[in-house]
Amino acid sequence: MNALPSSQGWATTTSGRLSAYLGLGGAGLLAGLLLSRPEPVILAVPLLLAAALGLVLARPPQLQVAVRLDRARALEGEEVELEVEVRALAPAARLELEVRLPTGLLELAGPPEQVSTLASGDVRLYRRRLLCSRWGGRLVGHVRIGVRDPLGFFTYREEARHELPLRVYPRPEALRRLVRPMETQAFAGNEVSRRKGDGVEFADIRPFVPGDRVRRINWRSSARRSGLYVNEMRPEQNADVVVFLDTFTDLRRSPEGDSSLELAVRAAAALVDLYMHRRDRVGLVGFGGTLRWLRPAMGERQLYRLVDALIDTEVVLSYAWKGLEVIPSRTLPPKSLVVALSPLLDDRTVGALFDLRGRGYDLAVVELTPLAFVLPGRRETEKLAHRLWDMQREALRGRFLEMGVAVTTWRPGEPLDASLAPVSTFRRASRLVRP
Amino acid sequence: MQRLSRGWLVPGALLAAGLAAYPAITQQAAPLVVCLGGLAVALFVAGQALPLPSVLAWALGLLAIEYLAALQLRSAGLDLTAPAYAAAFFLCAELGWLGLEARRGGRLWSGRAVAVVSLAVAGAVLGALVLLLAAVQMAGGAFLTGVGVAAAVAVAACLAWLARRQP
Repeated sequence: MNALPSSQGWATTTSGRLSAYLGLGGAGLLAGLLLSRPEPVILAVPLLLAAALGLVLARPPQLQVAVRLDRARALEGEEVELEVEVRALAPAARLELEVRLPTGLLELAGPPEQVSTLASGDVRLYRRRLLCSRWGGRLVGHVRIGVRDPLGFFTYREEARHELPLRVYPRPEALRRLVRPMETQAFAGNEVSRRKGDGVEFADIRPFVPGDRVRRINWRSSARRSGLYVNEMRPEQNADVVVFLDTFTDLRRSPEGDSSLELAVRAAAALVDLYMHRRDRVGLVGFGGTLRWLRPAMGERQLYRLVDALIDTEVVLSYAWKGLEVIPSRTLPPKSLVVALSPLLDDRTVGALFDLRGRGYDLAVVELTPLAFVLPGRRETEKLAHRLWDMQREALRGRFLEMGVAVTTWRPGEPLDASLAPVSTFRRASRLVRP
Repeated sequence: MQRLSRGWLVPGALLAAGLAAYPAITQQAAPLVVCLGGLAVALFVAGQALPLPSVLAWALGLLAIEYLAALQLRSAGLDLTAPAYAAAFFLCAELGWLGLEARRGGRLWSGRAVAVVSLAVAGAVLGALVLLLAAVQMAGGAFLTGVGVAAAVAVAACLAWLARRQP
């Protein structure tokens, strides 16, 4: 709850009605004197009476406003309730309340009446249902209060900024399969390692050598052959995964529709969540005008750090050339899998991704296709330009494939799961080569 | 509490038309005076339609001028209906402003409606008192005129002082 007295700083507006009544009333009195007739004075009486009463009764309001949110965290698409409590320390003839919402929050249809009359000591609660339409960190509680005097000659206005933090987490994309890393790390996890060692997953059989455990002997194979054979197993280990988010560019087709960055953040949230649940160490690189990074780590705290970092993601315009050298080396540990989410529009991102692959990182690229955001024009030349652009992008994807980097195209509205399937297929048939 | 709608424009305009027609009908006013009334109603409607508060104030001023001009041109005696006319004039002004506020999404609250009606009634009663005082046969002169001027100045000074007290 956030409360603040609203008894100071009222901006007062006087209705034109007051000056009109005073002017007409004064003119009536003058005319009565000049014409020596009572009728002008009689006409002036109600006007002057109203003006005098309005002036006597008008007092700046004394209100205490408190704002509460039913929670400080919500998922994209969820509803939160904002409660504004107004306590009148002095009578308020007519109170109007308007809640100013930041972008990404929409007010759902509430009660039609937002106006009320308050006696001294009255407490009025205004409840608003807010829809979290877009992920991000928000400050809620900017309330505009307007109070009229009993006769409506004066309007007192004040803006109370309570600034309650509300963190809206991205709605995760439905995801069941992940891009499996080529290599694993030393810690136990859910990923079957390509190395052989202690584990439960069968890998191969080989001839017995002194030092092998007896329980590893594969008696069935040994019976068929002349010597003893033992089972070789693969350990289940974890992996280092770095989600690489391109924040150089954001594409949007309509103000209501999702932008490429919004989709990327949702996908990143889903990937982060799933990898973390597999006990992988997950890190984040926000590669854009502002570089943001989180070193790979495990655990619940890291998950919250990652999601908090994701919802603070924004596009910052920058013309400075950036490459991999700006990323701290410990953010990209050796043998880590880098999953890049990018529209592949900015040369700096494309260059950094090529560089990553050149340095031997296991890389997979999810292309948030800009073609879905930029439609071809109506004229033939515009259509031709769009086709040429499409071909250029095809060539770019081809360059990635030539380097052994799996690239998949994700279009808005398509499930991410389906878009990741070709990546897994490509990677099954490919082999990681280090320079 | 009631939501103000554009329906508020119609009663205001009708009342203004009634007030403009009243002197023409009862006082057999000159065509010039009738034209003044017509112009006042036109300004009233225009002030509401545009919406412009200053035009509305001019419309009210013209209505009052029309009424007074009709009385003055005929050198009529005291108009006994003046308090009722004043109350209707005040209601017309309030309806005009309510119409303007309605255009800006304003709403009428019950307290204000009661206050407006009460003020109209109180204005009519006070007007009747003024009329009663005016009907008393008294010898005029510079002294009484001076008292009148002083009273008018005092009223204006009081209102100015009250207005100055407002933030």
